[in-house]
Amino acid sequence: MHYLRLFLTYLKLGLLAELEYRANFWIQLVQTAMELALALGGLAVVFRHTGDLGGWRPAELLALLGVYFLIGGLIRTMVRPSMQKFMEDIRKGTLDFTLTKPADAQVLVSIQRFELWKITDVGVGIALLAIALGRLSDSVGPLQAAMFGLTLLSGGLIVYSVWLILATFSFWFVKVENILVIFMTMYEAARWPVTIYPPWLRWILTFLIPVAFATTVPAQAVTGRMDPTTLGIAAGMAGILLVVSRAFWLYGLRFYSGASA
Amino acid sequence: MASPVIQVHDLRKIYMVGEREAGVLAAVRSLVRRRTRAIRAVDGITFHVDAGEIVGFLGPNGAGKTTTLKMLAGLLHPTEGDARVLGFRPWERDREYLRRMTLVMGQRNQLIWDIPVVDSFELNRAIYNIPPEAYRQTVEELVALLELGPLLHKPVRNLSLGERMKCEIAASLLHRPRVLFLDEPTIGLDVTMQRRIRGFVAEYNRRTGATVLLTSHYMADVEALCRRVIVIHHGVLLFDGALEALVERFSPFKLITVELADLPARDLSAYGQVVRQDEGTVTLRVPKAITPEVTGRLLADLEVLDLTVQDPPIEEVIEQVFAQPEETTLATGNGELRPELL
Repeated sequence: MHYLRLFLTYLKLGLLAELEYRANFWIQLVQTAMELALALGGLAVVFRHTGDLGGWRPAELLALLGVYFLIGGLIRTMVRPSMQKFMEDIRKGTLDFTLTKPADAQVLVSIQRFELWKITDVGVGIALLAIALGRLSDSVGPLQAAMFGLTLLSGGLIVYSVWLILATFSFWFVKVENILVIFMTMYEAARWPVTIYPPWLRWILTFLIPVAFATTVPAQAVTGRMDPTTLGIAAGMAGILLVVSRAFWLYGLRFYSGASA
Repeated sequence: MASPVIQVHDLRKIYMVGEREAGVLAAVRSLVRRRTRAIRAVDGITFHVDAGEIVGFLGPNGAGKTTTLKMLAGLLHPTEGDARVLGFRPWERDREYLRRMTLVMGQRNQLIWDIPVVDSFELNRAIYNIPPEAYRQTVEELVALLELGPLLHKPVRNLSLGERMKCEIAASLLHRPRVLFLDEPTIGLDVTMQRRIRGFVAEYNRRTGATVLLTSHYMADVEALCRRVIVIHHGVLLFDGALEALVERFSPFKLITVELADLPARDLSAYGQVVRQDEGTVTLRVPKAITPEVTGRLLADLEVLDLTVQDPPIEEVIEQVFAQPEETTLATGNGELRPELL
């Protein structure tokens, strides 16, 4: 309850801050439109040459693109801004303010900043999904919808945990923005189903930087190609990473308060 | 009698810091292996502070003040020793403890840059779970005391440094903490604003009975607020006691200022060390013990228009304290000598 209210307060403050710079909204809209055009153009190019890509039909890839925009938008709206603020706070020493507050520091750090205009990506993602689902209506029932929701949630938690782990490194190295850039690059790769990549890259995208769970797996669920094993792996992976990232965070925090000036 | 609010016992903090020689090659080498060196930032200090006291924490840069404050605020684990604040061990960061204390850092801001001050206050209200009625009352009180009225609805980025500091302080006090750690709260502010903030701290202490531990480089802050000071240097406690006692103890000199009739002023170095010499006015530094005698001689020998005897300014006294070699033995507040230094 307390944390829900905190979340809403931060959300409100994020909105207020964004309203201070209204031009950003239009810039963001243009940026999203360009990304969308580029992504759709890519799809068009591929399907001019072939009717299906590694077993994925056009409407199914559209669904995948929808998930890609949706999760990407959530990262850019909530996760990335908060983690960037966190790293900035470490560098400037203002993390001290967070740590002297009577609330869980991980929660405070994770919800402390929103870039609300990036929500346009989320909107585009939902729209793409809706269009794709309209074309795929024959293969999507309530079961698929439920699996989709579950895998999407797992994917979201996995991505959050990975970000937290990467950001936590800044307790030691202070500047780790570059790692986060690597993550976003890897995420770009996840706009295509991981099944089309060579095995080694598929392995990396599934287990090392598990972006596959954020895009390919939910798209599999919604296009009716999901088997229960994959669902189990996704949920298990989310649970494990949540625990691991929490433990790593706490360890980093102990290091911070043990060593920083 | 109630037990002290802050109890610090033999607290130590040793940092391991990375070290490398200058140059690109050394920098690259340090990517792989870092050489470290131990810095004894706080080297065994013991003191306690009673409820409602305002204690000035003095020391030059790097003396260990901020490190001590951070340990007491629960941000750092000590390497050795123990401390209790309000009965809590700070670095265990018990929520109940965090709810009752606050840390203000003059050099750092917690207010959100792009939004109005009052919205940042709202955030702290949500974090500390302050009931609406209490919140309204506290804000009202702080607004009146700090004259925040016109500032509340301005974005933080539009405030001057002094205005921002006032708002920072208010934001840190919304939850009505019982213990305040103020780390250079007046740094960089103009004299008027410094005075205003000083006045506020005194008033807040008077009204709420909160305990205040304050560091500052401005002696005026300390003189105005703190009857008791704790001096640390090289991580060691040098002095703990009344401010006057500090002056008494560390300044065996008086300053005699004489205004002479016969211009230009003559050489008076025979009477004492000449500190300043303007048109007809000379200031001498004279050992305390012989001050009456020197004063008498000055009056007898010269045509004196005016003569004043003063204690040296507190800054000068402090400077002298810090000029002491590390091993100098010094007294605690009761005038006892620290046993390990005897």
